[in-house]
Amino acid sequence: MTVAEKQPVPAAISVRNLDFYYGANHALKNISIDFPQGQVTGMIGPSGCGKSTLLRVLNRMYDLYPGQRATGEVIFDGCNILGPRVNLNVLRARVGMVFQKPTPFPMSIYDNIAFGVRLHERLDRAAIEARVEDVLKRVALWSEVRDRLHDSASALSGGQQQRLCIARTIATRPEVVLLDEPTSALDPVSTARIEELLDELKADFTIAIVTHNLQQAARCADQVAFFYMGEVVEVDSADRMFTAPRENRTQDYITGRFG
Amino acid sequence: MSATPCTSGRWQGNSLSDMRRRMVDRVATGLCWAATVLVLLMLFSILFVLVRNGVGGLRWITFVHVTLPPGQGGGLANAIMGSLIQTGLAVLIGAPVGLLVGIYLAEFTATDGRFINLVRFISDLLLSAPSILVGLFIYMIVVVPTGHFSGMAGALALSMLVVPVVVRTTEDMLRLVPLSMREAAIALGAPRWRVILFVCLRAARDGVATGILLALARVSGETAPLLFTSLGNMNWSVSPAAPMASLPVTIYQYAGAAYEDWTALAWTGALLITAGILMINITVRLGLGRNRK
Repeated sequence: MTVAEKQPVPAAISVRNLDFYYGANHALKNISIDFPQGQVTGMIGPSGCGKSTLLRVLNRMYDLYPGQRATGEVIFDGCNILGPRVNLNVLRARVGMVFQKPTPFPMSIYDNIAFGVRLHERLDRAAIEARVEDVLKRVALWSEVRDRLHDSASALSGGQQQRLCIARTIATRPEVVLLDEPTSALDPVSTARIEELLDELKADFTIAIVTHNLQQAARCADQVAFFYMGEVVEVDSADRMFTAPRENRTQDYITGRFG
Repeated sequence: MSATPCTSGRWQGNSLSDMRRRMVDRVATGLCWAATVLVLLMLFSILFVLVRNGVGGLRWITFVHVTLPPGQGGGLANAIMGSLIQTGLAVLIGAPVGLLVGIYLAEFTATDGRFINLVRFISDLLLSAPSILVGLFIYMIVVVPTGHFSGMAGALALSMLVVPVVVRTTEDMLRLVPLSMREAAIALGAPRWRVILFVCLRAARDGVATGILLALARVSGETAPLLFTSLGNMNWSVSPAAPMASLPVTIYQYAGAAYEDWTALAWTGALLITAGILMINITVRLGLGRNRK
Protein backbone atom coordinates (compact mmCIF):
# COMPACT_ATOMS: atom_id res chain seq x y z
CA MET A 1 0.00 0.00 0.00
CA THR A 2 2.92 2.35 0.38
CA VAL A 3 4.06 4.50 -2.44
CA ALA A 4 7.56 3.25 -1.98
CA GLU A 5 6.83 0.24 -4.13
CA LYS A 6 5.97 2.46 -7.05
CA GLN A 7 8.68 4.98 -6.23
CA PRO A 8 12.04 4.54 -7.82
CA VAL A 9 13.42 7.09 -5.34
CA PRO A 10 14.89 5.53 -2.19
CA ALA A 11 13.40 6.62 1.13
CA ALA A 12 15.39 8.97 3.35
CA ILE A 13 13.19 8.00 6.27
CA SER A 14 11.00 4.93 6.53
CA VAL A 15 8.35 4.77 9.22
CA ARG A 16 7.18 1.25 9.99
CA ASN A 17 4.26 0.32 12.25
CA LEU A 18 4.62 3.38 14.39
CA ASP A 19 2.37 3.85 17.40
CA PHE A 20 2.53 6.98 19.52
CA TYR A 21 1.04 7.75 22.90
CA TYR A 22 0.51 10.96 24.86
CA GLY A 23 0.12 9.23 28.19
CA ALA A 24 -2.95 7.05 27.63
CA ASN A 25 -3.98 8.85 24.46
CA HIS A 26 -3.17 6.73 21.42
CA ALA A 27 -2.27 9.48 18.94
CA LEU A 28 -0.71 7.55 16.06
CA LYS A 29 -2.02 4.12 15.15
CA ASN A 30 0.23 1.72 13.32
CA ILE A 31 1.57 4.21 10.83
CA SER A 32 3.81 3.27 7.93
CA ILE A 33 5.07 5.85 5.48
CA ASP A 34 8.18 6.58 3.43
CA PHE A 35 9.76 9.96 2.90
CA PRO A 36 11.49 9.71 -0.50
CA GLN A 37 14.92 11.27 -0.77
CA GLY A 38 15.05 14.76 -2.26
CA GLN A 39 11.30 15.10 -2.41
CA VAL A 40 8.75 17.16 -0.57
CA THR A 41 6.22 15.15 1.38
CA GLY A 42 3.16 17.15 2.33
CA MET A 43 1.15 16.04 5.34
CA ILE A 44 -2.47 17.13 5.47
CA GLY A 45 -5.47 16.35 7.63
CA PRO A 46 -7.75 17.94 10.20
CA SER A 47 -6.38 19.35 13.47
CA GLY A 48 -5.39 16.72 15.97
CA CYS A 49 -5.02 13.98 13.37
CA GLY A 50 -1.38 13.30 14.22
CA LYS A 51 0.58 15.09 11.46
CA SER A 52 2.63 17.24 13.82
CA THR A 53 3.00 14.31 16.20
CA LEU A 54 4.63 12.27 13.44
CA LEU A 55 6.94 15.18 12.65
CA ARG A 56 7.99 15.35 16.30
CA VAL A 57 8.78 11.64 16.25
CA LEU A 58 11.14 12.03 13.31
CA ASN A 59 13.60 14.17 15.32
CA ARG A 60 12.53 12.68 18.66
CA MET A 61 11.32 16.02 19.92
CA TYR A 62 8.78 14.14 22.01
CA ASP A 63 11.64 12.89 24.18
CA LEU A 64 11.54 16.19 26.05
CA TYR A 65 8.23 15.32 27.58
CA PRO A 66 7.79 12.49 30.02
CA GLY A 67 4.68 10.46 29.30
CA GLN A 68 5.09 10.62 25.54
CA ARG A 69 6.34 7.44 23.91
CA ALA A 70 6.63 5.79 20.53
CA THR A 71 6.80 2.16 19.50
CA GLY A 72 7.60 0.73 16.09
CA GLU A 73 10.43 1.63 13.77
CA VAL A 74 11.68 4.80 12.15
CA ILE A 75 14.57 3.91 9.87
CA PHE A 76 16.93 6.73 9.03
CA ASP A 77 20.29 6.00 7.44
CA GLY A 78 19.94 2.32 8.19
CA CYS A 79 19.29 2.82 11.88
CA ASN A 80 16.13 2.71 13.97
CA ILE A 81 16.13 6.16 15.55
CA LEU A 82 13.59 5.07 18.16
CA GLY A 83 16.25 2.79 19.56
CA PRO A 84 17.83 3.46 22.94
CA ARG A 85 21.37 4.37 21.93
CA VAL A 86 20.72 7.17 19.48
CA ASN A 87 22.67 10.39 20.02
CA LEU A 88 19.78 12.81 19.95
CA ASN A 89 21.89 15.89 19.35
CA VAL A 90 23.41 14.31 16.27
CA LEU A 91 20.00 13.10 15.11
CA ARG A 92 18.57 16.59 15.44
CA ALA A 93 21.46 18.05 13.51
CA ARG A 94 20.77 15.57 10.70
CA VAL A 95 16.99 15.98 10.87
CA GLY A 96 16.31 19.69 11.24
CA MET A 97 13.00 21.29 12.16
CA VAL A 98 11.25 24.57 11.45
CA PHE A 99 8.31 25.54 13.61
CA GLN A 100 4.97 27.18 13.05
CA LYS A 101 5.85 30.43 14.75
CA PRO A 102 9.19 31.99 13.84
CA THR A 103 11.47 31.57 16.85
CA PRO A 104 14.54 33.76 16.43
CA PHE A 105 16.91 33.46 19.36
CA PRO A 106 17.56 36.60 21.41
CA MET A 107 20.80 37.36 19.60
CA SER A 108 21.99 38.88 16.36
CA ILE A 109 21.03 37.58 12.93
CA TYR A 110 24.57 36.31 12.49
CA ASP A 111 24.67 34.56 15.86
CA ASN A 112 21.29 32.94 15.23
CA ILE A 113 22.88 31.01 12.40
CA ALA A 114 26.34 30.60 13.92
CA PHE A 115 24.81 29.13 17.10
CA GLY A 116 23.74 25.93 15.37
CA VAL A 117 26.86 25.68 13.22
CA ARG A 118 29.18 25.98 16.21
CA LEU A 119 27.33 23.17 17.96
CA HIS A 120 28.41 20.59 15.44
CA GLU A 121 31.45 21.84 13.60
CA ARG A 122 34.73 23.42 14.56
CA LEU A 123 35.10 26.15 12.00
CA ASP A 124 37.24 29.26 11.99
CA ARG A 125 35.66 32.67 11.82
CA ALA A 126 35.96 33.01 8.07
CA ALA A 127 34.31 29.65 7.46
CA ILE A 128 31.40 30.53 9.72
CA GLU A 129 30.99 33.87 7.99
CA ALA A 130 30.97 32.10 4.65
CA ARG A 131 28.36 29.64 5.92
CA VAL A 132 26.16 32.44 7.23
CA GLU A 133 26.34 34.26 3.91
CA ASP A 134 25.67 31.08 1.97
CA VAL A 135 22.54 30.07 3.86
CA LEU A 136 21.18 33.61 3.96
CA LYS A 137 21.56 33.75 0.18
CA ARG A 138 19.79 30.44 -0.17
CA VAL A 139 16.76 31.69 1.75
CA ALA A 140 16.88 34.97 -0.21
CA LEU A 141 17.48 37.02 2.90
CA TRP A 142 21.05 38.12 2.27
CA SER A 143 20.26 41.28 0.32
CA GLU A 144 17.83 42.36 3.03
CA VAL A 145 20.08 41.82 6.04
CA ARG A 146 23.70 42.00 4.79
CA ASP A 147 24.16 45.42 6.34
CA ARG A 148 22.73 44.51 9.72
CA LEU A 149 23.99 41.02 10.40
CA HIS A 150 24.90 42.01 13.93
CA ASP A 151 21.57 43.61 14.75
CA SER A 152 19.00 41.77 16.80
CA ALA A 153 17.05 39.15 14.86
CA SER A 154 13.82 40.10 16.59
CA ALA A 155 13.71 43.35 14.61
CA LEU A 156 13.03 41.38 11.42
CA SER A 157 9.51 40.99 10.04
CA GLY A 158 7.64 37.72 10.59
CA GLY A 159 8.38 36.44 7.09
CA GLN A 160 12.05 37.39 7.38
CA GLN A 161 12.24 35.71 10.78
CA GLN A 162 10.84 32.50 9.37
CA ARG A 163 13.34 32.56 6.50
CA LEU A 164 16.06 33.14 9.08
CA CYS A 165 14.82 30.10 11.00
CA ILE A 166 14.99 28.02 7.81
CA ALA A 167 18.50 29.35 7.16
CA ARG A 168 19.47 28.45 10.72
CA THR A 169 18.15 24.93 10.23
CA ILE A 170 19.90 24.27 6.92
CA ALA A 171 23.12 25.82 8.21
CA THR A 172 23.84 22.67 10.20
CA ARG A 173 23.59 20.77 6.87
CA PRO A 174 20.83 18.34 7.78
CA GLU A 175 19.71 15.60 5.42
CA VAL A 176 16.05 16.01 6.28
CA VAL A 177 14.14 19.20 7.03
CA LEU A 178 10.84 19.00 8.91
CA LEU A 179 8.50 21.96 8.63
CA ASP A 180 5.52 22.25 10.97
CA GLU A 181 3.03 24.61 9.33
CA PRO A 182 5.86 27.04 8.52
CA THR A 183 3.64 29.63 6.82
CA SER A 184 0.47 29.61 8.89
CA ALA A 185 1.58 32.73 10.78
CA LEU A 186 2.70 34.57 7.65
CA ASP A 187 1.07 36.84 5.07
CA PRO A 188 0.53 35.60 1.48
CA VAL A 189 3.63 37.29 0.07
CA SER A 190 5.93 35.79 2.71
CA THR A 191 4.17 32.46 2.23
CA ALA A 192 4.84 32.53 -1.51
CA ARG A 193 8.52 33.23 -0.91
CA ILE A 194 8.82 30.29 1.47
CA GLU A 195 7.06 28.01 -0.99
CA GLU A 196 9.52 29.03 -3.72
CA LEU A 197 12.30 28.37 -1.29
CA LEU A 198 11.06 24.82 -0.61
CA ASP A 199 11.26 24.11 -4.31
CA GLU A 200 14.92 25.06 -4.36
CA LEU A 201 15.78 23.32 -1.12
CA LYS A 202 14.53 19.92 -2.15
CA ALA A 203 17.54 19.59 -4.43
CA ASP A 204 19.64 19.13 -1.30
CA PHE A 205 17.25 18.05 1.41
CA THR A 206 14.42 15.65 1.96
CA ILE A 207 11.51 17.73 3.14
CA ALA A 208 8.46 16.88 5.22
CA ILE A 209 5.93 19.66 5.61
CA VAL A 210 2.78 19.73 7.69
CA THR A 211 0.23 22.15 6.33
CA HIS A 212 -3.42 23.06 6.73
CA ASN A 213 -3.33 24.77 3.39
CA LEU A 214 -4.31 22.23 0.75
CA GLN A 215 -3.28 24.50 -2.10
CA GLN A 216 0.12 24.73 -0.49
CA ALA A 217 0.37 20.97 -0.37
CA ALA A 218 -0.70 20.78 -4.02
CA ARG A 219 1.82 23.44 -5.03
CA CYS A 220 4.84 22.28 -3.06
CA ALA A 221 4.60 18.58 -2.46
CA ASP A 222 5.68 15.71 -4.63
CA GLN A 223 3.96 13.23 -2.39
CA VAL A 224 1.03 13.93 -0.10
CA ALA A 225 -0.12 11.96 2.93
CA PHE A 226 -3.61 12.36 4.32
CA PHE A 227 -3.90 11.81 8.06
CA TYR A 228 -7.14 11.19 9.88
CA MET A 229 -7.69 10.24 13.53
CA GLY A 230 -4.12 9.08 14.01
CA GLU A 231 -3.98 6.99 10.86
CA VAL A 232 -2.47 7.53 7.46
CA VAL A 233 -5.48 7.14 5.23
CA GLU A 234 -3.71 7.60 1.93
CA VAL A 235 -0.29 8.41 0.52
CA ASP A 236 0.03 9.32 -3.11
CA SER A 237 1.59 11.77 -5.53
CA ALA A 238 0.20 15.27 -5.16
CA ASP A 239 -1.36 15.06 -8.63
CA ARG A 240 -3.36 11.95 -7.94
CA MET A 241 -4.23 12.91 -4.37
CA PHE A 242 -5.98 16.09 -5.40
CA THR A 243 -7.54 14.84 -8.61
CA ALA A 244 -8.38 11.21 -8.01
CA PRO A 245 -8.09 10.18 -4.36
CA ARG A 246 -8.73 6.51 -3.74
CA GLU A 247 -10.40 6.89 -0.36
CA ASN A 248 -13.74 8.53 0.31
CA ARG A 249 -12.43 10.18 3.47
CA THR A 250 -9.68 11.86 1.47
CA GLN A 251 -12.20 12.98 -1.12
CA ASP A 252 -14.42 14.44 1.62
CA TYR A 253 -11.54 16.27 3.27
CA ILE A 254 -10.05 17.84 0.16
CA THR A 255 -13.45 18.97 -1.02
CA GLY A 256 -14.07 20.61 2.34
CA ARG A 257 -16.81 18.36 3.64
CA PHE A 258 -15.11 18.00 7.02
CA GLY A 259 -11.94 19.00 8.82
CA MET B 1 -23.45 67.75 5.77
CA SER B 2 -23.62 67.46 9.53
CA ALA B 3 -25.03 64.50 11.43
CA THR B 4 -27.58 64.90 14.20
CA PRO B 5 -26.24 64.52 17.78
CA CYS B 6 -26.34 60.93 18.92
CA THR B 7 -28.61 61.46 21.90
CA SER B 8 -32.05 60.45 20.68
CA GLY B 9 -33.81 57.25 19.69
CA ARG B 10 -31.71 54.12 19.96
CA TRP B 11 -28.67 56.16 20.99
CA GLN B 12 -30.32 57.15 24.24
CA GLY B 13 -29.99 53.84 26.11
CA ASN B 14 -31.39 53.20 29.56
CA SER B 15 -30.88 56.56 31.23
CA LEU B 16 -31.37 55.37 34.84
CA SER B 17 -28.74 52.61 34.76
CA ASP B 18 -26.63 54.97 32.73
CA MET B 19 -26.63 57.52 35.56
CA ARG B 20 -25.90 54.88 38.14
CA ARG B 21 -23.01 53.60 36.08
CA ARG B 22 -21.53 57.07 35.80
CA MET B 23 -21.89 57.60 39.54
CA VAL B 24 -20.15 54.35 40.38
CA ASP B 25 -17.43 55.21 37.90
CA ARG B 26 -16.86 58.62 39.49
CA VAL B 27 -16.75 57.25 43.02
CA ALA B 28 -14.35 54.45 42.09
CA THR B 29 -12.08 56.81 40.16
CA GLY B 30 -12.14 59.22 43.10
CA LEU B 31 -11.13 56.49 45.53
CA CYS B 32 -8.25 55.45 43.28
CA TRP B 33 -7.03 59.01 43.14
CA ALA B 34 -7.31 59.46 46.89
CA ALA B 35 -5.36 56.27 47.57
CA THR B 36 -2.65 57.27 45.11
CA VAL B 37 -2.31 60.72 46.62
CA LEU B 38 -2.14 59.23 50.13
CA VAL B 39 0.68 56.89 49.18
CA LEU B 40 2.61 59.59 47.34
CA LEU B 41 2.12 61.93 50.28
CA MET B 42 3.61 59.39 52.67
CA LEU B 43 6.54 58.70 50.38
CA PHE B 44 7.33 62.33 49.80
CA SER B 45 6.93 63.29 53.45
CA ILE B 46 9.48 60.61 54.33
CA LEU B 47 11.83 61.89 51.65
CA PHE B 48 11.23 65.47 52.76
CA VAL B 49 12.04 64.75 56.40
CA LEU B 50 15.08 62.72 55.40
CA VAL B 51 16.46 65.46 53.21
CA ARG B 52 15.68 68.23 55.71
CA ASN B 53 17.41 66.46 58.56
CA GLY B 54 20.10 64.65 56.64
CA VAL B 55 21.31 67.13 54.07
CA GLY B 56 23.24 69.11 56.69
CA GLY B 57 25.51 66.11 57.25
CA LEU B 58 26.45 65.77 53.61
CA ARG B 59 29.84 67.27 54.21
CA TRP B 60 33.23 66.10 53.05
CA ILE B 61 34.15 64.95 56.52
CA THR B 62 31.17 62.56 56.67
CA PHE B 63 32.61 60.59 53.80
CA VAL B 64 36.27 60.61 54.81
CA HIS B 65 36.18 60.37 58.59
CA VAL B 66 35.25 57.39 60.73
CA THR B 67 32.68 57.46 63.49
CA LEU B 68 33.89 59.10 66.71
CA PRO B 69 32.65 59.27 70.29
CA PRO B 70 29.89 61.83 70.88
CA GLY B 71 30.91 65.47 70.83
CA GLN B 72 34.01 64.91 68.70
CA GLY B 73 32.44 65.21 65.25
CA GLY B 74 33.50 62.44 62.92
CA GLY B 75 31.84 60.92 59.90
CA LEU B 76 30.45 57.71 58.49
CA ALA B 77 33.33 56.53 56.29
CA ASN B 78 33.71 53.18 58.06
CA ALA B 79 29.94 52.57 57.97
CA ILE B 80 29.67 53.44 54.27
CA MET B 81 32.62 51.23 53.40
CA GLY B 82 31.31 48.43 55.61
CA SER B 83 27.90 48.54 53.95
CA LEU B 84 29.45 48.47 50.48
CA ILE B 85 31.66 45.50 51.38
CA GLN B 86 28.95 43.50 53.12
CA THR B 87 26.20 44.05 50.55
CA GLY B 88 28.71 43.46 47.77
CA LEU B 89 29.87 40.19 49.29
CA ALA B 90 26.28 39.20 50.01
CA VAL B 91 25.33 39.60 46.35
CA LEU B 92 28.51 37.85 45.20
CA ILE B 93 27.66 34.88 47.41
CA GLY B 94 23.88 34.89 47.17
CA ALA B 95 23.25 35.76 43.52
CA PRO B 96 25.04 32.74 41.97
CA VAL B 97 23.29 30.38 44.38
CA GLY B 98 19.93 32.00 43.69
CA LEU B 99 20.60 31.93 39.96
CA LEU B 100 21.37 28.22 39.97
CA VAL B 101 18.35 27.36 42.09
CA GLY B 102 16.12 29.54 39.89
CA ILE B 103 17.42 27.76 36.79
CA TYR B 104 16.80 24.42 38.45
CA LEU B 105 13.21 25.33 39.33
CA ALA B 106 12.39 26.70 35.90
CA GLU B 107 14.27 24.37 33.58
CA PHE B 108 14.32 20.97 35.22
CA THR B 109 10.58 20.54 35.42
CA ALA B 110 10.80 17.01 34.08
CA THR B 111 12.43 15.82 37.30
CA ASP B 112 10.42 14.92 40.38
CA GLY B 113 7.74 17.56 40.76
CA ARG B 114 7.38 17.10 44.50
CA PHE B 115 11.01 17.91 45.16
CA ILE B 116 10.82 20.99 42.95
CA ASN B 117 7.73 22.18 44.80
CA LEU B 118 9.46 21.61 48.11
CA VAL B 119 12.48 23.67 47.04
CA ARG B 120 10.22 26.44 45.79
CA PHE B 121 8.24 26.37 49.03
CA ILE B 122 11.37 26.65 51.16
CA SER B 123 12.70 29.46 49.01
CA ASP B 124 9.42 31.35 49.36
CA LEU B 125 9.50 30.72 53.10
CA LEU B 126 12.95 32.26 53.26
CA LEU B 127 11.65 35.22 51.28
CA SER B 128 9.22 36.04 54.05
CA ALA B 129 11.35 34.90 57.01
CA PRO B 130 11.95 37.59 59.65
CA SER B 131 15.43 38.85 58.91
CA ILE B 132 16.40 38.84 62.59
CA LEU B 133 16.02 35.06 62.55
CA VAL B 134 18.45 34.90 59.66
CA GLY B 135 20.85 36.97 61.73
CA LEU B 136 20.48 34.66 64.72
CA PHE B 137 20.98 31.62 62.51
CA ILE B 138 24.28 32.95 61.17
CA TYR B 139 25.20 33.94 64.72
CA MET B 140 24.77 30.31 65.74
CA ILE B 141 26.62 28.71 62.85
CA VAL B 142 29.33 31.31 62.18
CA VAL B 143 29.82 33.75 65.03
CA VAL B 144 29.67 31.21 67.86
CA PRO B 145 32.06 28.67 66.31
CA THR B 146 34.57 31.35 65.21
CA GLY B 147 34.25 33.12 68.54
CA HIS B 148 33.88 36.64 67.17
CA PHE B 149 31.65 38.89 65.11
CA SER B 150 32.79 39.53 61.55
CA GLY B 151 31.95 41.32 58.35
CA MET B 152 31.86 37.93 56.65
CA ALA B 153 29.15 36.73 59.01
CA GLY B 154 27.19 39.87 58.17
CA ALA B 155 27.62 39.26 54.47
CA LEU B 156 26.50 35.65 54.87
CA ALA B 157 23.38 36.73 56.75
CA LEU B 158 22.56 39.23 54.00
CA SER B 159 23.28 36.67 51.30
CA MET B 160 20.60 34.44 52.79
CA LEU B 161 18.14 37.23 52.03
CA VAL B 162 19.55 37.71 48.53
CA VAL B 163 19.08 34.06 47.56
CA PRO B 164 15.28 33.79 47.68
CA VAL B 165 14.76 37.09 45.85
CA VAL B 166 17.08 36.00 43.05
CA VAL B 167 15.53 32.52 42.96
CA ARG B 168 12.06 33.95 42.50
CA THR B 169 12.92 36.49 39.83
CA THR B 170 15.17 34.09 37.94
CA GLU B 171 12.52 31.39 37.88
CA ASP B 172 9.78 33.83 36.87
CA MET B 173 11.87 35.36 34.12
CA LEU B 174 12.94 31.98 32.72
CA ARG B 175 9.34 30.83 32.70
CA LEU B 176 8.50 33.78 30.47
CA VAL B 177 10.83 32.38 27.81
CA PRO B 178 8.49 30.62 25.41
CA LEU B 179 8.69 26.84 25.16
CA SER B 180 8.93 27.22 21.39
CA MET B 181 12.29 28.95 21.76
CA ARG B 182 13.65 26.08 23.84
CA GLU B 183 12.32 23.56 21.33
CA ALA B 184 13.87 25.50 18.46
CA ALA B 185 17.28 25.36 20.11
CA ILE B 186 16.92 21.69 20.97
CA ALA B 187 15.81 20.98 17.40
CA LEU B 188 19.18 22.29 16.23
CA GLY B 189 20.83 19.58 18.27
CA ALA B 190 21.90 21.82 21.15
CA PRO B 191 22.57 20.06 24.45
CA ARG B 192 20.46 21.24 27.33
CA TRP B 193 23.12 23.27 29.14
CA ARG B 194 23.74 25.28 26.00
CA VAL B 195 20.02 25.86 25.52
CA ILE B 196 19.70 27.14 29.08
CA LEU B 197 22.88 29.21 29.09
CA PHE B 198 22.89 30.71 25.62
CA VAL B 199 19.22 30.88 24.71
CA CYS B 200 16.99 30.91 27.80
CA LEU B 201 19.20 32.93 30.13
CA ARG B 202 20.02 35.28 27.29
CA ALA B 203 16.35 35.87 26.63
CA ALA B 204 15.73 36.44 30.34
CA ARG B 205 18.92 38.44 30.90
CA ASP B 206 17.37 41.80 31.73
CA GLY B 207 14.82 40.36 34.11
CA VAL B 208 17.43 38.28 35.90
CA ALA B 209 19.76 41.28 36.26
CA THR B 210 16.84 43.29 37.60
CA GLY B 211 16.22 40.63 40.22
CA ILE B 212 19.83 40.79 41.40
CA LEU B 213 19.69 44.58 41.65
CA LEU B 214 16.42 44.42 43.56
CA ALA B 215 17.99 41.93 45.96
CA LEU B 216 20.89 44.33 46.42
CA ALA B 217 18.45 47.14 47.16
CA ARG B 218 16.57 44.97 49.62
CA VAL B 219 19.58 43.96 51.70
CA SER B 220 21.30 47.34 51.68
CA GLY B 221 18.80 48.62 54.22
CA GLU B 222 18.73 45.54 56.45
CA THR B 223 19.71 46.08 60.07
CA ALA B 224 18.50 43.05 62.00
CA PRO B 225 20.66 40.41 60.25
CA LEU B 226 23.77 42.49 60.99
CA LEU B 227 23.19 43.10 64.70
CA PHE B 228 24.32 39.62 65.71
CA THR B 229 26.78 39.04 62.92
CA SER B 230 28.98 41.99 61.95
CA LEU B 231 28.04 43.91 65.12
CA GLY B 232 29.51 47.25 64.07
CA ASN B 233 32.92 48.83 64.41
CA MET B 234 33.82 52.35 65.49
CA ASN B 235 37.11 52.16 63.62
CA TRP B 236 38.09 51.92 59.99
CA SER B 237 38.20 48.24 59.08
CA VAL B 238 37.86 46.61 55.71
CA SER B 239 38.71 43.08 56.83
CA PRO B 240 35.74 40.71 56.52
CA ALA B 241 37.30 38.68 59.35
CA ALA B 242 36.81 41.49 61.85
CA PRO B 243 33.65 43.13 63.15
CA MET B 244 32.49 45.61 60.55
CA ALA B 245 30.50 48.81 60.65
CA SER B 246 27.49 49.33 58.39
CA LEU B 247 25.11 52.18 57.71
CA PRO B 248 21.93 50.53 59.02
CA VAL B 249 23.52 49.42 62.29
CA THR B 250 25.16 52.83 62.76
CA ILE B 251 21.81 54.49 62.18
CA TYR B 252 20.24 52.12 64.68
CA GLN B 253 22.84 52.99 67.31
CA TYR B 254 23.03 56.72 66.60
CA ALA B 255 19.34 57.42 66.16
CA GLY B 256 18.55 56.21 69.66
CA ALA B 257 21.43 58.10 71.24
CA ALA B 258 20.98 61.28 73.28
CA TYR B 259 23.78 63.15 71.49
CA GLU B 260 22.76 65.68 68.90
CA ASP B 261 25.72 65.14 66.55
CA TRP B 262 25.06 61.40 66.53
CA THR B 263 21.39 61.90 65.70
CA ALA B 264 22.35 64.23 62.86
CA LEU B 265 24.73 61.62 61.44
CA ALA B 266 22.00 58.97 61.72
CA TRP B 267 19.77 61.17 59.54
CA THR B 268 22.55 61.59 57.02
CA GLY B 269 23.16 57.83 56.97
CA ALA B 270 19.46 57.22 56.37
CA LEU B 271 19.51 59.72 53.53
CA LEU B 272 22.54 57.99 51.99
CA ILE B 273 20.90 54.55 52.08
CA THR B 274 17.68 55.91 50.62
CA ALA B 275 19.56 57.70 47.85
CA GLY B 276 21.50 54.52 47.13
CA ILE B 277 18.37 52.38 46.87
CA LEU B 278 16.69 55.04 44.76
CA MET B 279 19.64 55.00 42.42
CA ILE B 280 19.51 51.21 42.10
CA ASN B 281 15.82 51.38 41.33
CA ILE B 282 16.32 54.08 38.72
CA THR B 283 19.05 51.97 37.13
CA VAL B 284 16.64 49.04 36.99
CA ARG B 285 13.95 51.23 35.40
CA LEU B 286 16.34 52.64 32.82
CA GLY B 287 17.61 49.16 32.01
CA LEU B 288 14.09 47.86 31.44
CA GLY B 289 13.12 50.93 29.45
CA ARG B 290 16.05 50.47 27.12
CA ASN B 291 15.09 46.85 26.65
CA ARG B 292 11.55 47.66 25.62
CA LYS B 293 12.63 49.79 22.68
